[in-house]
Amino acid sequence: MRLSYYPGCSLKTSSRFYEASILKVFSHYGIELEEVDDWSCCGASAAHTIDEHLAHLLSARNLALAEARDYPLFAPCSACYIRSRMTNEKVRDDADFQTEVNEALAPLVCEGTLEVKNIIEVLEEYVGVEAMAKNNRHDLSGLKAVPYYGCVLTRTMRITPYDDKENPESMDVLIEALGMKVVAWPYKMECCGAGKTLTDKDVTRRLSEKIMDMAITLGADVIVTPCPLCQMNLDLLPLIGRTAASLPVLFLPEVFELALFGSLTGTGSHIIPADGVLKKIGEA
Amino acid sequence: MKDLSFLHECERETGEKISSCYQCYRCTTGCPVVSDMDILPHRLIRYVILGERERALQSGTIWTCLQCYTCSMRCPNDIDVARIFDTLRKAAVREDKARDLDTWRFDRYFLDSVKRHGRLHELEAIMRYKLMKKDLFGDSKMGMSMLLKGRMGILPHNIKDRKGMKALFEQADKLSAVSGQQEKSNADPT
Repeated sequence: MRLSYYPGCSLKTSSRFYEASILKVFSHYGIELEEVDDWSCCGASAAHTIDEHLAHLLSARNLALAEARDYPLFAPCSACYIRSRMTNEKVRDDADFQTEVNEALAPLVCEGTLEVKNIIEVLEEYVGVEAMAKNNRHDLSGLKAVPYYGCVLTRTMRITPYDDKENPESMDVLIEALGMKVVAWPYKMECCGAGKTLTDKDVTRRLSEKIMDMAITLGADVIVTPCPLCQMNLDLLPLIGRTAASLPVLFLPEVFELALFGSLTGTGSHIIPADGVLKKIGEA
Repeated sequence: MKDLSFLHECERETGEKISSCYQCYRCTTGCPVVSDMDILPHRLIRYVILGERERALQSGTIWTCLQCYTCSMRCPNDIDVARIFDTLRKAAVREDKARDLDTWRFDRYFLDSVKRHGRLHELEAIMRYKLMKKDLFGDSKMGMSMLLKGRMGILPHNIKDRKGMKALFEQADKLSAVSGQQEKSNADPT
């Protein structure tokens, strides 16, 4: 099983431990990842704010590079995933647009032939819920998680979202399969403050605190998310003014690490300490 | 009869059927940052329809917007409200009417970094922003913590094809220039 892998800027810097976790977990399940050669930034929200043409070209460049192989394109970062999908489908469905893009990208060529997948889809399709439920060395039933998808993953206009726009359950299913309890909560899709952390810190603090408080009120032990920006904003809460206690914020593959290995390669990278979680795991 | 040119201009640039809005309020009630906005989302849409161009372009709302897409998701008329606000931002900057340029400036530093290296060099974009705000030490605790935890790239990551990236930016500029000119000729009745 092989996939083209588009890490995106975050997974090489602020969320380096997300990549480390993915590589460890995927290796265990026999999924091979081939990093797209010479990939570049997708532009995230900055590009589409300043210039839509630039936004599409930045995404198209990576799609063109990935099309050198036949494998589906795996983009764990929510922003990279959505930007890639939007450009991919427009290139695929709009011939004039495809021509315009390729004139600008030359000598690279983007044809929209690949499938773009996020981490939840990949784990579901390439590992499968059954495999996840078996052979885990560690018992996670002592932990309760709230599944936090973030606002980008399923909120797509004009292209079919991979899961429900208001109440996705795809990640819930994976977490439960691994043996961790999932707490039903209303903030699956609430925005954490996105890119406002630098330009308007109070907004991020307010929005992320709301999410953290709700998780704590409902008795969760951890927040689980697939989005690098969400993890960072929530993790930064103690440093942007939150004085109340906070729950550790785990990336989705870190839950797999707990079930499979009983450890976290990224413990040192978490700002809100995640070590406490390890004490609540048992032997299977 | 109200002047519909602003409405038509927005509908053309966004591709959205803005005039189908029947003021149901769902965008406003779902917005997580509505308390920070000077004009409520549904009212801003109404201003677009009524041709209140200056009010719309000079609003703080379009900059407060997080682009979280809650509004667009919930609109019963399938209007991409977030996209409309995003488009108004561009027009506001183009016409020098933007209320709050912090977001725009940070995004520009972000893109400059991408143009130069091919990938975002966070430290560079953050430092440039902080210098511009004349507030180098404001978030030092946060910055130091991220650095110590190995979560901030100190050195930039350069792609091999930096020439190609520069050319890509130039191509994007060319495409934008062309569409800008097209809009002008559409507005001109002769």
